Amino acid sequence: MIRTLALSLVLAAPAFAVTVGQPAPAFTATDSNGKVHRLADFKGKPVVLEWTNSGCPFVKKHYGAGNMQETQAAATKAGAVWLTVNSGAPGKQGHVDAKGANAEVAANKAKPTAYLLDPTGAIGRAYDAKTTPHIYVIDAKGNLAYQGAIDDKPTADPADIKGATNLALAALNDVKAGKPVKVATSKPYGCAVKYG
Amino acid sequence: MPLSRLLILLFAALFAVPAAAANVAVTIAAESARPAPGKPLAIALTFAPKPTWHTYWKNPGDAGIETQAAWTLPPGATAGVLRYPVPGRLLVSGLMNYVYEAPQTLLAEVQVPATASGTFPVAVKLDYLVCTDEICVPESASVATTLTIGDGAPDPAQAETFAAARRAMPVPLAEAARYTVTGERVAIGVPMAGLEKVRGAYFFPLRDGIVDYSAAQVVTRSGDLLRIETKGAPTGRIDGVLRIEREGEAPRGFLVAAQPGTVPAAGTPLAAAADDSGAGAMAFLPAFLLAVAGGILLNVMPCVFPILSLKALSLAKGGTSDRTARRDALAYAGGVILVCVALGGAILALRAGGAQVGWAFQLQTPEVILGLLLLTTAIALNLAGLFEVSLPGGGAGQRLASQGGAAGSFWTGALAAFVATPCAGPFMATALAAALVLPPLAGLAVFAGLGLGLALPFVLIAYIPALRRRLPRPGAWMGTFRRILSVPMFLTALALAWVLGRQAGIDGMTLGLAGALALGLLLWWIGTAQAKGRPVWVPLGGAAVAAVLAIIALPTAGPATAQVASAGTLAAQPFSEARLAALRAAGTPTFVYFTADWCLTCKVNERGALRDADVAKAFAAAGVTTLVGDWTNGDAEIGRFIDARGAAGVPLYLFYPRGGESTTLPQILTPRTLIDTATT
Repeated sequence: MIRTLALSLVLAAPAFAVTVGQPAPAFTATDSNGKVHRLADFKGKPVVLEWTNSGCPFVKKHYGAGNMQETQAAATKAGAVWLTVNSGAPGKQGHVDAKGANAEVAANKAKPTAYLLDPTGAIGRAYDAKTTPHIYVIDAKGNLAYQGAIDDKPTADPADIKGATNLALAALNDVKAGKPVKVATSKPYGCAVKYG
Repeated sequence: MPLSRLLILLFAALFAVPAAAANVAVTIAAESARPAPGKPLAIALTFAPKPTWHTYWKNPGDAGIETQAAWTLPPGATAGVLRYPVPGRLLVSGLMNYVYEAPQTLLAEVQVPATASGTFPVAVKLDYLVCTDEICVPESASVATTLTIGDGAPDPAQAETFAAARRAMPVPLAEAARYTVTGERVAIGVPMAGLEKVRGAYFFPLRDGIVDYSAAQVVTRSGDLLRIETKGAPTGRIDGVLRIEREGEAPRGFLVAAQPGTVPAAGTPLAAAADDSGAGAMAFLPAFLLAVAGGILLNVMPCVFPILSLKALSLAKGGTSDRTARRDALAYAGGVILVCVALGGAILALRAGGAQVGWAFQLQTPEVILGLLLLTTAIALNLAGLFEVSLPGGGAGQRLASQGGAAGSFWTGALAAFVATPCAGPFMATALAAALVLPPLAGLAVFAGLGLGLALPFVLIAYIPALRRRLPRPGAWMGTFRRILSVPMFLTALALAWVLGRQAGIDGMTLGLAGALALGLLLWWIGTAQAKGRPVWVPLGGAAVAAVLAIIALPTAGPATAQVASAGTLAAQPFSEARLAALRAAGTPTFVYFTADWCLTCKVNERGALRDADVAKAFAAAGVTTLVGDWTNGDAEIGRFIDARGAAGVPLYLFYPRGGESTTLPQILTPRTLIDTATT
């Protein structure tokens, strides 16, 4: 009986939500311009999800040095959809409303396809997004191809961007070439997602 | 204020934070202000975060980053990896962080080149992340100290810093750990001694991908194996730090390396911490229900069934009113529960006093076994019809089972509960093990639950007339039935005689059986007297005297082997470096061993080779002095001594021959190894 009790406790814990190679969890979200997006709408194109929090030094590392914007531009130029997701709960660091999100995009000269607002953290929990930034690459068939860090230098120092391998772009290139993704999972680094 | 200006201010403020206000004070200390050339030098880096801020362990968990160190050292000097103290856990919004929320000291070892001389500057730039629950700030700190090459003597001003830092470090476990993966679950088995004192444990994986950080870890123990089960599917060797909380001690960490292997199924849950009322409350209900179930099952055990069934049949007899039946049932239940709670209370009290006792602990005493043997013999003879019992307050001539009055029922219940103790039924072990570690009141309630279960069938019969009507009609068959019931009781007596033989040897058993025989003869006398209506005082007194005499005369010595073992133990003195130096200066061959309560290999050796009588003789003949160092609580002097010998931890066995250098003995000792070492 004690075991049963313990087991039910374990089952209540959050499960590994996403697995590379499996269909990416479906979602419906409103972007900063009030437009509703569904993951299924983008079938046929690779999709990149980027979790963000403008107050997080690791996010600032990549936006401040222009690295995130360059990655977004390269991805969308190659035909991918780039969705920036903000799962910060109201009152927590980095939370934005639609206006704040657009101001952020403008200030950073960011190039996402859309900036999705997820104040309840529903999408973040579905993907088990842990840090900002945390990157997911979904292939044209809707299967998860990569999840993890933006690059392989887990620091907050912008000087480390030079010489780092951009894992998001590498995964996207492999997906575009129809090859298996070389590094399909990495440990994301950054601030914890500020869920409510 | 326009939004753009707000943003500018915001950004200015954010960029100013790391430079203007460091959230962590970082300091550097060297163990020696005069490091010796060619020797390692310990460096302590202390991180003191402001309140509500935390820094990260080597593996930060779901978020965060590892601290980076960039050293600036004189030519030829090298620095080792940063050693982290045992971390804590911080779960924020379902994300697990492995952190330090209080000042902590990282240790690193700088190898001083043999050619070094003059000043020796040590500088390091540290990049680390410091966060609150809300925000994170990457910080950078450069700290430096300038030393002078010298004799390497420890700096007394830093002794406490280094002693505390070493105490907080995880220590290596000599025993190999194993793990097994079933689906998405991983179970890690870690051999460790002294698990009965462990109140909490957590496995911190050193690399990513071993376990799901935020998943609960289910910790159980079976024998000397601590078992941790959680979500994860690692492959290859897994490394981590096992944080152990032991009753009455500061938490400790152990470096664990586990290889794939077999891990047994979950064992018994850990004892709950006394202050952890939440966990205690959770474990109470299942333990209580198990105890009730165990109590109910006890009713069909050979030691209880005869008493209960006769008690039950007494209700079936005509003329018993509902009121009387209920009064009897309540009195019976009261007797049962009271004895169970009294036994439970005695166990808890003894355990609180430090004794390692469990349910039926009284059965470890041969005197109690003998008492029970005589009691069950008497009950069996009574059931067999040899004599009748009349208790004070009951009508003369009434039989045990039909003993009238609430008092009679109460004593029957008490008797049933006491006689039931040798019969451990299913469920009981688990429930009572849990009871021992619950808060005292909850523990007593579990024992009461056992009594409730034991009394329940009789109470139900008394309170539900329909059940009572279903009982067979009383008649002459009841006498026969009673005699048949004497058989399981005699078997119980036989089993007790066997236990007595195991405990007190063949002499004790013979004495016990002689006592039983004397008691039987006297009871026979009573029976004859009863049949003739004569007074029974003389034989009754004789029976009591016989029983008491047998118990007093019981040989108190335990089995012979125990004596030899205790005689063989090495006479050891406590270890200190000064004592060792003195012994070596005097030319005394010295055997030094280091042990810890949690070290399974140490304990195995201490119960085996180190206790061997031949070893003790050989050591005495060779004039070997034994020193023992107990590293259970991470004693700093011992820690440094072990480090200096290049050993990872305990067990460590060193032998210093007369005037010679030490040799390190294998971790698994045999008497032969020790004797050969002492005599060559």
